[in-house]
Amino acid sequence: MGYNIAIITHNTLEAIGIKHILEESFASSAHIYACAGEIPEHLNAVYDYFFCDTECFASALDFFLPRKQKLIMVGSARNENNPATFISKYDDESTIIDKINTLFSDAKLKTRETQTELSQRETDVLRLIASGMMNKEIADNLGISINTVLTHRKNLTAKLGIRSVSGLSFYAMMNGIIAPK
Amino acid sequence: MTIVNYESKLCDLLSFDPAIITVLNRFDIQLGVSDKTVTKVCEEKGIDKAFFTTMLNTFINKDYFPQEILSTFSAAKIIDYLTKTNNYYQYYQIPNIERHFAYLLSKSDANNSSLAIIQKFFFEVKQELQLRIHDDCTTWFPQIINLEQAIGHVTIAHIDANICQEDSIEAKVSDLMNMFIMHLSGTYDVNLAHAVLTAIYALKKDISQNNRIRERILRPLHEALLSTQSEANHGL
Repeated sequence: MGYNIAIITHNTLEAIGIKHILEESFASSAHIYACAGEIPEHLNAVYDYFFCDTECFASALDFFLPRKQKLIMVGSARNENNPATFISKYDDESTIIDKINTLFSDAKLKTRETQTELSQRETDVLRLIASGMMNKEIADNLGISINTVLTHRKNLTAKLGIRSVSGLSFYAMMNGIIAPK
Repeated sequence: MTIVNYESKLCDLLSFDPAIITVLNRFDIQLGVSDKTVTKVCEEKGIDKAFFTTMLNTFINKDYFPQEILSTFSAAKIIDYLTKTNNYYQYYQIPNIERHFAYLLSKSDANNSSLAIIQKFFFEVKQELQLRIHDDCTTWFPQIINLEQAIGHVTIAHIDANICQEDSIEAKVSDLMNMFIMHLSGTYDVNLAHAVLTAIYALKKDISQNNRIRERILRPLHEALLSTQSEANHGL
């Protein structure tokens, strides 16, 4: 599965180049924004990574600093000591792909244990989704916040590759989490 | 990434992405295109080459959305294309998946419950798609055509290129594909499973383009028509 990525830069050619690499080499879905303010609020939580140039970063610190774990900077510095999360526009294509690959692989390693199978809580949420409950009802039923329900739903989609409620219901049937209809 | 232009040869485009045959069929173009260019074929068939080229480009490149060109097309022309697309789903792609799925089930282990459940999910997707097609034919499309006939052509003020929301059908077709890719289990006929997966992939690609045209062009066009009508009713 690829990632959802926001590319934030005023430089259209640069943005198209990054988008092309992300889509072609990493099967990811990337959207381009000229500044952080253009990103619809409801999509902020959807993006797994933010590729951002130094200018946009400096102009929206309030937006980027809380998301620094998901941030990959793009700039013109040629310094070999650039951090792993910095891509220079002077890097050649294979270097850029290697860097992104390393970043994504590291992120996967960190979450490998939780990515392999559903946790008990995720299974509980899946069962309630499949039974037709809305987020609020699931939150009340399990005694958790709606935000926690949304996080579990996001994890379910990431792990199972299934987004729709009916898709999740059929998955739950296939795996004996609910009885077949 | 290829951008189709008037001098592009259809044979090169088909070699690059054979899936475009589905778009060519909607313009009554079949295989056996020799080395004819877009201009040549459009002249022979009496096709609007700007519209044809734009439909091909939006199919091949999901980011290709030239606002100035798109806003010049009439709603009737876009609806004609989408109707042909709907027909293709209804009479070819869905029956094709259904046929292969039935064959896959008949040739696979009878105890493979995962296949039977995925097939039920497919039937649900099919039903939702058929309902949307019915709504298009009986309500949405006629309403837009009537408005355009009454008001005339309107221009869309702005097409939001970032409208990329998947609709329910697109999400479900994607889920259906992932069920095969990630969750298929048990014993089954491998070749037939590949055939079903390939057919679902073709449908998914087509539906994605259809949705981009629906959401980024036709819906704003419908809203512009309604807005113009409302202004006319209020004597503005």
